Amino acid sequence: MNMSGSGKSPTTEGLVEPSSFLLQAVEELSQKSGYPFQISAVPVPGTGLFVVHTPAHPFRSEYTVAQGALGFRTPFNFPDAGPEDSFFIIPCDVKLSTADPVRKSMDPNRASRAEKLVTGSTLGNAPVLLFSWHLWAKISWNRRVHTLVDHYTHCIRRFEQPEHD
Amino acid sequence: MKRLELPFGHRADEIHIATHRNTWQLLKRKLDEQAPNEACAFVLIRPSVGVLRTTAVLGEIIWPDVGEVTAAPHALEVSADYISRALDIAIDAGPLVGLCLVHTHSKSECREGIARFSSRDNWYEHRLFPTVVGALPKAISASVVLGSAGDVDARIWWRMGKDALTQAAHAIRVVGPELAILETPSSTWTDHPDPAIMDRSTRLWGRDGRRRLQNLRVGIVGAGGTGSLAGFALATMGVGKLVVWDRDIARKENRHRTAGITKEYVGRPKVAALKALADSVATADPFSMTAHQALGTTEEALRHLKDCDLVFCCVDKFAPRVPLNDLAYAHLIPVMDMASWMHPDRDKRIDALMTHAHVWSPGVPCAWCRETLTSYRLTQEAQGKQQGIEKRIPYGLPLQDTDGVEPSVLPLNMLGVSLAMMEFMQVALRITDRTPNDLKFILPEWELDESDRPARPDCDCVTSVGAADTLYIAPVLMEEDGD
Repeated sequence: MNMSGSGKSPTTEGLVEPSSFLLQAVEELSQKSGYPFQISAVPVPGTGLFVVHTPAHPFRSEYTVAQGALGFRTPFNFPDAGPEDSFFIIPCDVKLSTADPVRKSMDPNRASRAEKLVTGSTLGNAPVLLFSWHLWAKISWNRRVHTLVDHYTHCIRRFEQPEHD
Repeated sequence: MKRLELPFGHRADEIHIATHRNTWQLLKRKLDEQAPNEACAFVLIRPSVGVLRTTAVLGEIIWPDVGEVTAAPHALEVSADYISRALDIAIDAGPLVGLCLVHTHSKSECREGIARFSSRDNWYEHRLFPTVVGALPKAISASVVLGSAGDVDARIWWRMGKDALTQAAHAIRVVGPELAILETPSSTWTDHPDPAIMDRSTRLWGRDGRRRLQNLRVGIVGAGGTGSLAGFALATMGVGKLVVWDRDIARKENRHRTAGITKEYVGRPKVAALKALADSVATADPFSMTAHQALGTTEEALRHLKDCDLVFCCVDKFAPRVPLNDLAYAHLIPVMDMASWMHPDRDKRIDALMTHAHVWSPGVPCAWCRETLTSYRLTQEAQGKQQGIEKRIPYGLPLQDTDGVEPSVLPLNMLGVSLAMMEFMQVALRITDRTPNDLKFILPEWELDESDRPARPDCDCVTSVGAADTLYIAPVLMEEDGD
């Protein structure tokens, strides 16, 4: 939505560098998760989103790939704005080892290949498998309470869910 | 008593004391109850340091315990225990937190208690404040005297090297849903030299209102569709000082919905066009408009905004609203926010439209409580041309790039600004007894409405009122584009 209805809403230009809030939040995430998360130096072009990822994170045992990159994108104005309600993994061609009995599919549920999602990060232009699991559907992001650790916890909780709910 | 020369210094061109209306009313009521004796209390204060102005913002009141103050009709004695307890509380509250001593001059049988620091006050404070500022070296401290007829005097104290310096305050801002400004004897406000030109307006807000408008400093963040109209209206109404921010260059496409962009100003900064317009219609005398061709939410701009008595938020993004909303409550600077939204259907007929003007000020729910601002909206905005990606890609749907272009028409901008100007008259000039939370015009209902959403008790607009510089407000450096 474009406030004040005043015509062209230009491409959002975030900060050139991540804010100190973001850098601290990523450092805290690395410490508490035990995985070395890093943040992109610049926002993804055309957005105000930085890419936060760790290169070698274990995936769920039902996947055809045991581990890979796991990450998400978070706005330049974090923590006022929370991370996107999604996360990604790389490689993007991860499948289920056996078909989900309900959906009768080898594809992870609610996940699809996405391009240009991590441009500008050290992941280059790699396509990702983007998951949406309504991570923040039950609790809204609270800028004074929630951290990237909370978001990460929501992301990996996805790995504990059945593939068809 | 021997007359003392106080150690005067120059901290800033303007000195204000600011207080939440509730704090002020409580303080006045309880101290006035002690009449005919004088009375006093220490109050914590936090600095709000702008470019031209330093403001000491009153916070928590530290009431004296029994026996800590000995009072008589023309005398007060403050015990060392009270001073030391107040100092301990201030130290515990953080390095920027200072102490303000507020005391009354009560009415006697033959005359009102005049709000002027007496020789005795000077003598006493000359001894007290070196101790206070010595213990609170990074803070600003202050003293306020309340006269029995509502008049006030105030000054701040601070430490420079080994010395304690003082500077007179020019005004006390009492901020709630409305803004009251109490002039001190050091006020630099002036009257309009030819008030007759404002005759029909003055019939509504009186001489005091005219004097207030003449001396107000109003900030406008964004000089586009709404900001240009707000600037035009404020200058016409007689506001004496405008400070405007906008980074954009005027384009020919802006002309049909922005005031002041004549052909000559296409290709020039929007703020330059607005300055020319404001200068040509201003009725205040003197009138000044400072134009900043820059974003209004940078670190530097936020510092300048602390010089303002009131701010108009005329941006068309959510992100810049965050620091402006925080500024309103933490620094006690009311903000008039305007927002519009228009949605045409495929046949270009409007199926939904909304414009609103919202006051952000202590006692009125903030943008977060009213859900003008939500973290989700901010995230969505930051997604830019990839907006809604998490709702499409994971479900196998292609991403639809968006440039966010929406219709914009002058009448809608004018309506939003008109609603904001009504709110401005109420907040700055108190033309009625109640300030509405917002004024909202909506289609397809074709009706004007007011939100009844209350403030959330744990929101910063309740818990961090008057936090001033102790609350860090992060600048926002995104495109503002209030066109």
